[in-house]
Formats: sequence, structure tokens, C-alpha cells
Amino acid sequence: MTDTTQQVASLRDSAGPMSAVTGWGLGGRTAAIRSVGLWLALFIILIAIFGPLLAPQNPSAIDFGSRLMGPTARHWFGTDEAGRDVFSRVLEGARITMSSVAVVIACGAAAGVIIGTIAAVVGGIVDELLMRITDIGMAFPPLILALGLSAALGASLRSAIIALAFTWWPRYARLVRAMVADIQNTDYVTAARELGAQRLWIVRRHILPATVGTMLVQVTGDVAAVTLTLAGLSFIGVGAQPPQPEWGAMIADGQTYLPVVWWPVLFPGLALMFTAVSFSLAGDWLRDRYARDGG
Amino acid sequence: MTIQILRRAGWAVIVLLALALATFLMLNVIPGDPARLAAGPGATPAQLAVERVRLGLNHPLAEQYLLYVWHALHGNLGISSETQIPVATSLAQALPVSIELVLAAMIINILISLPLGVIAAVRKDGWADRTVRVFSMSLGGMPVFWLGLLLQVAFAADLKIFPLGGEVSANVSQGQKITGMPVVDSLLEGNWAAFGSTILHLILPALTLAAFFIPIIVRTLRENLISELGQDYIVLARSKGMSERRVVLGHALRNAAVPTLTLLGMQVGWMLGSTVLVEEIYNLPGIGTYAVNAVLQKDLQPVVGVVLTVGLVFVIMNLLVDLLVLGLDPRARLAGRAA
Repeated sequence: MTDTTQQVASLRDSAGPMSAVTGWGLGGRTAAIRSVGLWLALFIILIAIFGPLLAPQNPSAIDFGSRLMGPTARHWFGTDEAGRDVFSRVLEGARITMSSVAVVIACGAAAGVIIGTIAAVVGGIVDELLMRITDIGMAFPPLILALGLSAALGASLRSAIIALAFTWWPRYARLVRAMVADIQNTDYVTAARELGAQRLWIVRRHILPATVGTMLVQVTGDVAAVTLTLAGLSFIGVGAQPPQPEWGAMIADGQTYLPVVWWPVLFPGLALMFTAVSFSLAGDWLRDRYARDGG
Repeated sequence: MTIQILRRAGWAVIVLLALALATFLMLNVIPGDPARLAAGPGATPAQLAVERVRLGLNHPLAEQYLLYVWHALHGNLGISSETQIPVATSLAQALPVSIELVLAAMIINILISLPLGVIAAVRKDGWADRTVRVFSMSLGGMPVFWLGLLLQVAFAADLKIFPLGGEVSANVSQGQKITGMPVVDSLLEGNWAAFGSTILHLILPALTLAAFFIPIIVRTLRENLISELGQDYIVLARSKGMSERRVVLGHALRNAAVPTLTLLGMQVGWMLGSTVLVEEIYNLPGIGTYAVNAVLQKDLQPVVGVVLTVGLVFVIMNLLVDLLVLGLDPRARLAGRAA
């Protein structure tokens, strides 16, 4: 591969909205400021776990007496068209979004690790075939493939999760294959092989643990793209369905009452943006740190 | 060179066949029994059997797939079960609207990213650079559809600078459809009232669509420009006493432009896909709105038709970009000869 073809390939990977939030090098001068993304990301994860306990109201409690009320001391983010508390729903939405994103990334990464490792370790025709399939998988925008797949499965949050996992694994497969191919040529793996270690044992003991760090960096940076794509699918109508308090679905639901009633649309969107930016900062921080430690 | 071109074109055909396989599976395998869907819930076994033969489901799956590809090649993408209008007919009407939106978004994308990228690179680590980076990162973190709604509320509903949506104002006659692109058509007809109105209707949706792609261009341009500005030929140009303006715009930018242009070409396909998030907000009758309406009606054929169309454009754009790079870069040509 020449410089140019490689450059074009890496440009292709970054051409779409996959990575618009990451890689801005917005560090800050002190270590405390630099790690702020990590703390924000942890904060969001804590909200996802404990949010429903913190919610002042029941997120699905309907109260037509107080529908479409603006932000007040009782309802910080106002109420929606059925009188449900938007603040409580946004908190509840963190759990839905974070758990869905976790499933998408976990499934995508697991498939990517398996396929990438097999391709690199077995090599030859298997490698060629798997990587061609990976290339095809990467040749289309995830949003549009997931749209068709989720619609075919029947619009629901579950369908959107399955559809996104199916469109996300090729990125991980390519990354893992490149890493494993590198690690296979290191002295310690050669030594283990010469000592008569089994191939599967080497993979499990020496190769896969060495990929964990990079995968963690990659996965953290990907949270933003998966979150926004998933919310987009729900907004279009192939993901979470109202009245489920998923952020994208909440925005789609609140759209009808614009421009007078803006709060059911504004706050879930802010939550999405906050999540995307926080995890991207965390991913950038991990990447810098990881690169500096040289391992 | 010829071998390289043929190889890339061949690869594009394989990718398209894979795309067709994906859409075929979406239509005929994943949703369950298509005969049952077509015949309705109360169908008798005899009716189901008739439907099965009518839809060609009695043939092996591989044969059905080949037939599907054959139909698609002849512009037959099935019929919408909701409206009974062929998907290809609706797509032919909707696609020009979306293409015009993508072109407008591309112009806005370039007009905004180019100055931002240059300023950020020239003032690297200064306050201007940091502002550009914070702005770009925030823009990249916004959900597109949410930004669209906010812009609509602010600039259309509240300030009333732009219309809320649609292609053209109700009191302006739009004239004939020539290309199907509202702005281009009014221009071709010399219908200035319609031209102004259609442009106004296009600005907010195009801005929304562009917003997500601007950060990516800014980042690439900034990085490439910074790296070019560190090269020896820049030092030489400066030491010859060349003005900073010419050094940056005439020398460095020219070299940093190639990867940026490549990226812009690839973004066309992405943008066309993202119309599903934007058009419906502004009530533009493009393929995005077509797909979203079909989703609401649980009408699968149009959705899959849009997936196929966007995928096709995506593959073609990537092929064109590949060939362009091949044509521009002598190293890529030589690599082909060696291989």
C-alpha cells in the first residue's frame, strides 16, 4: 500500500459524522482540566445507573392537569404533552441511552475482536475474505444501513440496537486485525511460539490482552457517534418509540408543540450533546495519555 | 493505470452486489414471510400459495436474489404498499430535491470551513484557534435533527427571516418541473420570484445538513495546513520575503487542499444519507422525507429503496474520488504499475 492509498483509506474512515466531536486536542493546561472529560463521562454513567432514584417524579406518570407547562421549581425542565416531568424523563433517558450504546459497542467490539483476530492469526485466504467483507461493511454510512435493517426488523429500540451493532463491527475488526498482526511479530510472541506454545494459548495469553488498551480508547471515543446515531434512528421513527423516554424519541415527540413549547425538545438535545462531548473529551484524554505511556 | 481503474471499478461492482444482497434480505428474509405481509392477516392457505407464486417466493432464495438484482437494474424497485406508486417513480421525483439540498449544504460547508480552518491553523494555539476548536467540537456533538429544530424556531418562527419549511412560498407560482430541483428549475425558467423564494427555503435546511460536516473539514484542513506550514519550502518562501498572505494562501493552502477535496467528495454520500434527519423537519419533499413517511406507515419498500439509492451514490462517489486521486497523484499510479 502506498502512502496515498493509505491516506485515502483513513480519510474515508473519517469522512462521515463518525468522528466530528473527537480529536480536537482541547486539553487545557493542567492535568485536572485535561481529565475533565473523564469525570463528566463517569458522571453520566452514574446518572444512568442511579438516575431513576434521583428523579423527583415518576418519568411516566401522566398528569393532564399540568400538561405542557414551562420550567418551574417543581418541574425544572417543564412538562410534556401528557404532563410528564421532562427532567425525570431526561434522567431516565440516560439509562436507556447508555445501556443501548453499551450493548451496541460491546456486541460490535466482540464481533470485531473475533473476526479481526481470526483474520490476522489464520491469515491467507481467510484473512483476505474476512477483510473484504469488512471493507464492504465499511463502504456504507451506518445510519442508512441501520435505518433499513431496523425498519425490516420492525421499528423498536431493540431493532435499532441490533441494526447498529451489525453496522458497527467492521471498524473494530479492521483495528483489531492491524493490532494483532503487529503483535504477532513481536519478540515475545515469537519466543512463545518457538517454545511450543499453542496458537490459541498465545492469542489468549499474549495477543488479546495487548489490544485492550487501544480498544478502550477507541470505544470511549465511539460513544458519541453511537449515541447520536441511535438518537437519530429514534427520531426518524425506527428506534425507541414514544412514550419511551429515549432522548431522540422525546425530541421527535416534542417537535409537534414547537415553537411555543420548546422545553421537551431543548433538554433532551442538550443531554445528547453533553454526552457526546463528554465522552469525546474522555476518549481524547485516554488517547493522549495512552500514546505518551508508549504502550 | 488502466489496471488500477479496472480493479477499482470491479470492486465497486462487488460492493454494489453486496448492497443489493443487504437490501434483498431487508425486504424478503428479515421481516418474515413476504407472502403473509402482502396477502394480509386474514389470508387463507390457498391465498397465501397464490401470493407466494405471484411474488416468486416458490423459487430458491438465490434465484429470487438474482431476479431482484435484475429488476433493480431495470429500475424496478417494487411498489409502495401504502400508496401503490412504484418506488422508482417516487424516488425519481424526490432525488433531485435532495441532491439540490446536498449541493447547497456543500457550498455552505466550504464557505464556513475554509476560513475557519485557515484561521485556526495560522493562529495555532492562539485564542482564535481555541475558539474555532471549541465551536467545531460543540457543532460535532449536536444531534443534527435537534439543531434543525432549534434553527427553525430561532430564524423562522421567531425572527421570521426564513420560511418554516417547504420548497417555495404558497403565493409564488413555481412553474414547470424541468430537472426537479426547485432552485435550478426557477433559474432555468427565468422565474425570479420563484428563484428568490426557493433559495430562501433552502438556506436553513442546507445549514443544518452542513453543520455536522463542517467540523470534520475544519479539523482536516487545520491539521494539514499546520503540517504544510512547518515544511522547508515555507521557510524558503518566507526568507525570500514573500508576504504571509501569499505564503499561506498561495503555497501552503494549495498543498493542504488535496486531502480536503478528497474528504469533501466523500462527504457527498454521507450528506445524502443524512437527509433523512433533516428534510422532514423542513417539509422538503426529498428522499429523506420519503423514507421517514414510509417508516411511519410501516411501508418497507420505499425505505429500502432509499437505502439502495443512498448506497449507490455513496459507492459511485467513493469510486470517483479514488479515480481522481489516482489521476492527481503520480505515486498512486506508479504503485499500480509495481503491483
